[in-house]
Amino acid sequence: MNSEESKVESRPVFKCSSFINANKPANKKRAWKSLKQIISTERSLPWPEDHIHYSSINAPPSFLPAEKFSDLSGLPAPYTDPQTRLRFANKEEYSTLLTLPMDITAGYLALRGASSIVG
Amino acid sequence: MDVIEFQDVKCVPDVVHTYTDDLNSIPIVIDNGSYYCRAGWSTSEEPLLIFKNLIAKPRKERSKKDTNEVIQAPPLQVGNDIINIEAVRFQLKTQFDRNVVTHFEAQEHLFDYTFSHLGIDTDKCIPHPIVMTEPYLNPNSSRQLMSELLFECYNVPSICYGIDSLFAYNFSQSEPSNDALIISMGYHTIHVIPIIDNETNFENTRRINTGGFHVISFLHRILQLKYPAHTNAITLSRAEELLHSICSIATDYREELKRWNDVDYYEKNIKKIQLPYSVASTSSTLTAEQQKERKKELARRLTEINARRRGERLAEDEEKLVKLQEIYELWEVHNDAEEFEYALGENGFESSDELEKSINLLKMRIKKTKQKILAANSAEELPEEPPNKQQKLNKIVFENEKAMHSYVQNAKKLRQDILSKKLSRKQKKQDMAKRRTAAGQERMRIISQLARKEKGNDDFGMRDEDWDIYKTISRDGGDSDSEAENEKLLELEEVIKTYDPTDDADSLAPAEAYQLHIGIEMYRAPELLFKPYMIGSGEAGLSEVIGYVLKLFSPEDQLKLAGNVIITGTLSQLPGLKKRILTDLISIRPFHSITNVTIMPNASLAPWHGAKAFSNTEICKNFSITKRDYEELGGDYLKHHIASNWYTPTPKEQLVEVDN
Repeated sequence: MNSEESKVESRPVFKCSSFINANKPANKKRAWKSLKQIISTERSLPWPEDHIHYSSINAPPSFLPAEKFSDLSGLPAPYTDPQTRLRFANKEEYSTLLTLPMDITAGYLALRGASSIVG
Repeated sequence: MDVIEFQDVKCVPDVVHTYTDDLNSIPIVIDNGSYYCRAGWSTSEEPLLIFKNLIAKPRKERSKKDTNEVIQAPPLQVGNDIINIEAVRFQLKTQFDRNVVTHFEAQEHLFDYTFSHLGIDTDKCIPHPIVMTEPYLNPNSSRQLMSELLFECYNVPSICYGIDSLFAYNFSQSEPSNDALIISMGYHTIHVIPIIDNETNFENTRRINTGGFHVISFLHRILQLKYPAHTNAITLSRAEELLHSICSIATDYREELKRWNDVDYYEKNIKKIQLPYSVASTSSTLTAEQQKERKKELARRLTEINARRRGERLAEDEEKLVKLQEIYELWEVHNDAEEFEYALGENGFESSDELEKSINLLKMRIKKTKQKILAANSAEELPEEPPNKQQKLNKIVFENEKAMHSYVQNAKKLRQDILSKKLSRKQKKQDMAKRRTAAGQERMRIISQLARKEKGNDDFGMRDEDWDIYKTISRDGGDSDSEAENEKLLELEEVIKTYDPTDDADSLAPAEAYQLHIGIEMYRAPELLFKPYMIGSGEAGLSEVIGYVLKLFSPEDQLKLAGNVIITGTLSQLPGLKKRILTDLISIRPFHSITNVTIMPNASLAPWHGAKAFSNTEICKNFSITKRDYEELGGDYLKHHIASNWYTPTPKEQLVEVDN
């Protein structure tokens, strides 16, 4: 293959020419193992009891109640618009909120991670 | 208030350093972070290379795929070769997945870049020991691939791995104390690492999966949503610049919010950021006067063309008339029948009647044309000026300023009324279209009631008001934006424009229209580190995790740890961080117990300097993995030292035997 030859030529001198990364997935479509895959493989192995691996030091879930902030301004938000589910702090914000197009309201919800219907 | 402009710092391509003889077997120190990579010799004062761990791989063009010619691979840009990151944003790749290296093809490119820019030109090997950082609790498989790459592709003699923050803590400062609580703030993660009696306590370390990257993306997104018109001008690199230039951490976020709620405080402290813009140079450069001139000129040219055409036609017709009259004369005067018949046939006439008819027709046409020319000439002398609307409006004369003012106010009020009416109509329409809203449900209720009416006593339609029900349930909610209203609106706007030109919101100076006003956002974005729930993460925030980690220890150890909290990582440069952590810490510690928070000096480069200092000690030589170790003890093998991870060999996967 022509392209391969040119690739070899452009190799820096210090590299071992025979090295081909054996772990490179043969199928070009498939990428390298993601961290998620690596972690789940790691977890499934029969480690000794006291072993600590990557996923065992994840931060605990928050025990404090999540404060509610206005999606628009970031001020403490006592209200939620039932239509868009956006939080707002005062009536001025509500009137701007009414004029917002769908993509912006959806963007705010997605940013807060509240775009799922179930949540 | 000064307006801040974006610097838009561009990367400067790295020079290739010279490879001298005295560098023989000198270790190479690499701090391989998920944002920056810093590399240099263990003898160099500062890292020789600092670049973002990124490659940009332009895609091959599809159309060229099938040609048999030598495929010119598009140039791969690595690290600081990428001058403008935003230009190749969608082609960027990094070897990192969160804080762990997973994509070793990209890592190979970045090693190529590192080693070649260090000037190494030895044949088929890198004859230098490598001292390199790896993530906290790096998965064995990742280390195995890294060792494989370095030993087999680059033929390095030995590698020594260590954790960046531990290198920084243990070796970049002169006298590290035996106990510390290290807070390592990285690009993807924050680690809270307790160290007791010089031993890293892996068991009680906690990692928050929120870091600088999340803060930058959060800021980027809130600004984009706040200024939808400038979505494309607000780039990630600019958000990053803002984070480093104006953002800071509030000591008490609630208090800060309260202050910003005050209008005066807001006006005083708001930061105005200028986006680059160019003044649109379109027809607006022509004044109204010039446009009028131009129109006149065009009209004049048109009438000229018309006049010329008429003249030509007149001449043509007259010529033809003369000819026909000659023929006619042949008959009338000379009575030359034969000649006359011949002439008739030649000109396509059948009889003398027809000839007479066409002569009359020509005469009429000539007369008409002459009249038209006359009319056109007179019109040119008195060009008609169409009455201008604005002039008509100007005719209203006000007694005084006050009267005019009230008139304009009235017009504005009317306009506002129409606008709000329109808005509420739009809202109602939206409500109607959705099923869950009160309006929508009311509509459904009426419809079902209508359908349910008993057939027996159907008197629907007897009264005219009955039909109004259809107006109520139509999706428009009964009334829509009427034509008359729109016209009225236009008229009012015209009036307001005439008497109060300052009113127009569009007349904002272009520079001002391209400004970002950043208020709470400068505290809101970094606050994410303490409240990851702001982006929907369920994890606890930084202060909470610190408290959590401390609680895992005995009261004596807690005292030791809280007495020496050390913050490292580039994010620690955020102003206000130290005060915030100290405040939060004091609030959870027993009354009058000792708490100390230090930010590591030169936090961004401290891991590299630590690793460099480490590479010059005896420990480094003893704890390096040689190629022989790698071959005999497995790819993931690690010798642990004070700044390293803990090594547990990967257990062999046991075959699960199924019991019958």
